[in-house]
Amino acid sequence: MNPTHILTSFEEALRQLRNDALMMASLTERNLENARKGLFERDEDWCNTVIADDEEIDTLEVQVDRDGINVMLRFHPMASDMRNVISTMKMSVNLERIADQAVNIARRSRKLIARPEVTEIALLQPIFTVAETMVKDSIRSYANGDVELARGLKERDRELDDMNRSFAEKMTNHMSACVELIPSYMDLIFMARFLERIGDQAKNIGEDSIYAVSAEDTRHTGPAVD
Amino acid sequence: MSTSTIEPPDFLDRAITSGSGARAFWSRFLTCVCISLAFLTLIPLLSIIFLLLKNGLPNLSLSALTELPPAAGMVGGGFGNAIVGTLLMVAIGLVLATPFGILSAIYINEYAPASRLSNTVRFVAKLLTGIPSIICGVFAYAVIVLPKTGWLAWIPSGFSAWAGGFALAILILPTILLTAEQALMSVPHAYREASYGLGATNFQTIWRVVLPDGLPAIMTGIMLAVARAAGETAPLIFTALFSQYWIQSFNEPTASLSVLIYNFSTTFDDHQKAMAWTASLVLVILVTVANISAQVIFRKKQ
Amino acid sequence: MTFTMEQPQTTSESEKSGPTQQTSPRADFLKVTNFNFYYGKKQALFDVNIEIPARQVTAFIGPSGCGKSTLLRNFNRMNELINGVRHEGDILLNGRSIYDKKIEVIALRRSIGMVFQKSNPFPKSIYENIVYSLRISGVRNKATLDETVERSLRGAALWEEAKDRLHESALGLSGGQMQRLCIARAIANQPEILLMDEPCSALDPIATAKVEDLIHELKRQFTIIIVTHNMQQATRCSDQTAFFYLGKLIEFDATQQIFSNPGEKQTEDYITGRFG
Repeated sequence: MNPTHILTSFEEALRQLRNDALMMASLTERNLENARKGLFERDEDWCNTVIADDEEIDTLEVQVDRDGINVMLRFHPMASDMRNVISTMKMSVNLERIADQAVNIARRSRKLIARPEVTEIALLQPIFTVAETMVKDSIRSYANGDVELARGLKERDRELDDMNRSFAEKMTNHMSACVELIPSYMDLIFMARFLERIGDQAKNIGEDSIYAVSAEDTRHTGPAVD
Repeated sequence: MSTSTIEPPDFLDRAITSGSGARAFWSRFLTCVCISLAFLTLIPLLSIIFLLLKNGLPNLSLSALTELPPAAGMVGGGFGNAIVGTLLMVAIGLVLATPFGILSAIYINEYAPASRLSNTVRFVAKLLTGIPSIICGVFAYAVIVLPKTGWLAWIPSGFSAWAGGFALAILILPTILLTAEQALMSVPHAYREASYGLGATNFQTIWRVVLPDGLPAIMTGIMLAVARAAGETAPLIFTALFSQYWIQSFNEPTASLSVLIYNFSTTFDDHQKAMAWTASLVLVILVTVANISAQVIFRKKQ
Repeated sequence: MTFTMEQPQTTSESEKSGPTQQTSPRADFLKVTNFNFYYGKKQALFDVNIEIPARQVTAFIGPSGCGKSTLLRNFNRMNELINGVRHEGDILLNGRSIYDKKIEVIALRRSIGMVFQKSNPFPKSIYENIVYSLRISGVRNKATLDETVERSLRGAALWEEAKDRLHESALGLSGGQMQRLCIARAIANQPEILLMDEPCSALDPIATAKVEDLIHELKRQFTIIIVTHNMQQATRCSDQTAFFYLGKLIEFDATQQIFSNPGEKQTEDYITGRFG
């Protein structure tokens, strides 16, 4: 990013875009964390906070798009600037989806909390941790232009998929054993699925970060997973 | 917000009050001075024209334009031979000076603008424009009129139309050269670039693009040279002298308007003096026509 | 520093070209080798090596005074009109040196059209402007001249606008029309290469779009090299872009590559507007 642009207003517009995107990222991170607290601490207040805060993230998504369009319209960014604007706008879409998944988790949590606690919730904890750190790392790879960190996300997403799959299998088994807990198990299966989606989105953010730094398109390059 | 709404009237107030200050008075005063001086310069010019018309017009007639000059004490006659002589010698001067002037201008502007030769030619031409016309006459007198021996013997000597034309040629050569150079210089460089870019040679570029575009300005220069040459007396006294008769050949003394005016205005004969006024009027008309046509040609270009 | 372009299209085009085509377009159609250029004592180009493919648009970009126009003006040896210039190295057109003693500079310029920054039609009629290059090579046949005028004007997308006023002064055209007339004049002699030195810098956006559209059409027939300060223009109408800085060729690559992911930091700094 050095040296800076001759045009200070260009520099300013890019900074604005980046700041809005990073603000959106940190809010998304916080929302996910709140969703985790709500789920594992069985605290409905946290769940409500997540649902309420999503609005802020939606507003920021619109703002990031506006910033990006502003930069493109006024300054015709080229090369690394263009890649930065594009990857930032793409990231904001992914962040918004992550935040939506956090809301989905919070909604399911509220239902789950209303029922008696199931012990299997402990099995969701590692999945949640992996998804959450993936989101944090994807944001870090964007903020620091850390290509290596971003590349690692692909493999971690695959692991997360496996975790989700085996969790779903376990839950299905448990369902046949204990029929009256099926609604709770269903909630857990859904939440694992949401977390798996979050992992996908974190991976996407990682790919955009790689594009921003090295102009390399790494999408759909690994062995097919889906 | 409040300050910005107050400011405009403030600003206007200042603009209004400054109008009645000392600055405005000086401005008006100087304008008046300039206008009156401009009128003052018109006075000599207008009085010349007035005198010419008053003294010259009564005698202006067809016979004045077509007949030979009257001898002292005679009545009637005219200065037809002087008009012919003037036109002829100016023509000779043009024929001699124009090719040299234009070709030199082409050389110093198109072929070698920065060469030592070009710089020398340019410098000498500028010097020549400042040389008094009488020197041109003396020079032509020495070169042509005086009898010559040896390798210069082929040049016809004695007072003649040739000698007069030669003197005028020297007089107008620098004017033609320098105006032609200016004319060529004012042809946009982009035209030359386009021409060379299309594969034209130097000559093709000059002949097809530069000269056609510069021609009106060159013609203006030539017309101004004509106007100057027609009015010159000094070079002709030394070279063409004067003649009471119609011109028979280029090798004999030739009459000219300017010399006729000079001769007649210094006699004691009233009729000849009156003729001098009429000849002056005709000369001024000729020069004015040349000047106006120069401007018309130049304006056509714009 | 040599940049060689991989051009699969050009090889296929050379196969397609008919018997009328005297020269088969090649990837190294116009080849500059170890080229140095001096204005008097000042060196303007430093060891430039570039291979420009045929039938494509190559853009030269770079800050003012970077040597891009100087190189362009060497392709038709226009620089030799300036006193005290000197060059080292060679420029090969279709494998032959343009500095070959046997090659007449006049003939070279006739086979390379040039369009200038400021449109410069002669103060003559539209017709006479176009046939100028034919007249100077001695063509008198009226039919040939007429045909050339129509073909060139059509080629420059000016025929419809100008056909009813062929014998009116070219100076009565609008700025954009004048520039297209200059293009028509440049292609009248059916050159192989069209050099364009910032052809749109004095035009409004609509006239610029027309000229760019024309460039797109003309590259079927001509090898086009365009010098431009407008990077959007380079991205819009060129296939390759060469970036020059301080008389050196810094980078030469496919346009998309240059503007999305340049290989050199200097290129990146220039096109993103970070030049100090």
